[in-house]
Amino acid sequence: MTFRATPRNVTVVAAVMSLLLVMTVLVSLTMGAVHLPLSQVWGALASPGTNSEAAVIVREIRLPRILLAILVGAALSVAGTSLQALLRNPLADPYVLGISSGAAVGAIFALWIGGRIAAASPLAAFVGAVITMVWVYLLGRHGGRLSSYTLILAGVITASFLSAVILFMLTLLSTRDVRGIAFWLMGDLSVTPVAEMRILAPAIILAIAGLYVFAKDLNVLLLGAEEAAHLGVNVARVELGVYILASLLTGIAVSASGAIGYLGLLVPHLGRMLVGNDHRMLLPTAALGGAILLVLSDTLARTAVAPAELPVGAVTAVAGAPVFIYLLRKTAG
Amino acid sequence: MSAAQILAGMSPALVKSARGLPFLMVTYEIRSAQAPSRPFGVNFPSGATVLLCVLAATLSILLPAAAAARTVKDQTGRSVNVPDNPHRLVSLAPNTTEMVYALGLGDELVGDTDYCDFPPQAKNKPHIGTMVNPSLERIVALKPDLALGTPEANRRETADQLERLGIPLYGVTASTLAGTLASIEDLGKILGRASEARSLVAEMQARIDRVEKRIEGQPKPKVLFVVWYRPLITVGPTTFIADVIRAAGGIPIEENLKGEWPRLTLEELLPQNPDVILLPKTESFSPSAEEFQSLPGWKDLRAVKERRMFFVSETIERPGPRLVDALEELVGVLHPSLAFKTGERQ
Repeated sequence: MTFRATPRNVTVVAAVMSLLLVMTVLVSLTMGAVHLPLSQVWGALASPGTNSEAAVIVREIRLPRILLAILVGAALSVAGTSLQALLRNPLADPYVLGISSGAAVGAIFALWIGGRIAAASPLAAFVGAVITMVWVYLLGRHGGRLSSYTLILAGVITASFLSAVILFMLTLLSTRDVRGIAFWLMGDLSVTPVAEMRILAPAIILAIAGLYVFAKDLNVLLLGAEEAAHLGVNVARVELGVYILASLLTGIAVSASGAIGYLGLLVPHLGRMLVGNDHRMLLPTAALGGAILLVLSDTLARTAVAPAELPVGAVTAVAGAPVFIYLLRKTAG
Repeated sequence: MSAAQILAGMSPALVKSARGLPFLMVTYEIRSAQAPSRPFGVNFPSGATVLLCVLAATLSILLPAAAAARTVKDQTGRSVNVPDNPHRLVSLAPNTTEMVYALGLGDELVGDTDYCDFPPQAKNKPHIGTMVNPSLERIVALKPDLALGTPEANRRETADQLERLGIPLYGVTASTLAGTLASIEDLGKILGRASEARSLVAEMQARIDRVEKRIEGQPKPKVLFVVWYRPLITVGPTTFIADVIRAAGGIPIEENLKGEWPRLTLEELLPQNPDVILLPKTESFSPSAEEFQSLPGWKDLRAVKERRMFFVSETIERPGPRLVDALEELVGVLHPSLAFKTGERQ
């Protein structure tokens, strides 16, 4: 299915996806370890003055977590979509390319030299993400050109190397920190305080908006770097901009919620199946679709083994890994 | 990032922790064997009293459930706003659950974890999930006026989250036998059961003293406590398990090891040559003693040759009121001639 990316079509698709997102959020608000009837959920949202248990559960536990899932889901999906276009590789994704691991190393390093995981510096995660991204990109170049398989291999190798680095750092941390980090590494949307989200939200929205500015350039870049240059695209500038913004999104997402895998891989493909390859259309679709999927995944994580909770990264990985294998088989043929 | 890989790398410790036992311990210094000093009964100047009353009145309007409260430091060093008469308790760890019951407050416990299995009634309480990943909304729905936990079992993040939700969490910590007794006494004061706690602790102390007398002059066997077997993880010198072993007249072989739950290689184990090997009797710990004997190198260990490998009840992994039971059990294991006969304990 392909729509032309007229402003009207973009608006319609974004509106439909937003509506779906709102519905998902409403459904998710009613689900959890504690059963709350719809009327109580509605009451908690409609009358902010009340302070019943239901109101606390809905407004202070479920809602912030859902909002964070929306932000992180959108961030990872948009990062994945732009990386896939930039690298002209359908398997590119912050997780597969090791960028999430780099961000995690940065965040743990910040913890290691002082501070706590809740305050794991987004800056350290960001720096880790950028260093890893540049490193993988340099490794993946072959004879001056990006080679798809070399790049994926470089990413996988880097990811496993960084996992070893993380393990090494974990052995030097106290047992109690390790227990916290283990959950954080598997993706955990429950621990970010609302105050931190006030910083994360504008940063993520700005970075997504920034990437949207490059949407047309990404379309042209899909033809190849040389062709894009012939068509008047400043390839170096686009590459740099998209790299930085995608790393920023990944770094922020990982620092807030740990490593949530496969979302950045899965959502762009689903988005292309839905609306085609035009990034003016695809980017908003991926952002909203990623938000929807992560809210759903986290709802599952909260409820599947209630009252205990699953790490949301485990949920996305279980769903995402088979899709990754399917894509690998398809592109190898 | 291979989270699975990372998890696999740490699984023994984590899995054990998820099973509830033993708690992964962090060395937490208990300031002294006594309960930490707290600002009880501070005298305020009258102006401040008025201000405080106004504040309290405002608070009581804002938070209908909040009764009179005082701010104390818990054993982890956190400031906690503890209500004067807590009567809706949520326990986030099996050992604090046992303490609550031992203090006669079982009826006031409104929720505990999936792993709280002692006393048996604890299993029927509403559960809030696991120690490391409890459901916050379940906790809120139980309307507790005080939550109890321990850094040895719970995550710091959980404490932060509860703090943001305005649910006071009082943390106790115990890295020795004496520290466990101090925790019980401290909790008794917090929960308004100071005299019950004192007599419980006195009784436990009497049993500890009796053990001490009993093992006087006995040979001290070297003991390997197997926390996990693949890889071999044992107890570090600063854990309460090592302390119980020492109190029972044994020498934990890990005296010169570092950390709370150190790994032990065969090379390190062989020269230590323990006289006794202890294995916890838990469901997650499946291998039989025979399987250990077939592990490479193990058949040359003195404890294996002399068939002194014993399963001990998992009470030893829970720093609560039954830790003295574990101590007495251990005395019988380490000094067979001194075994407590049934009914002799009291």
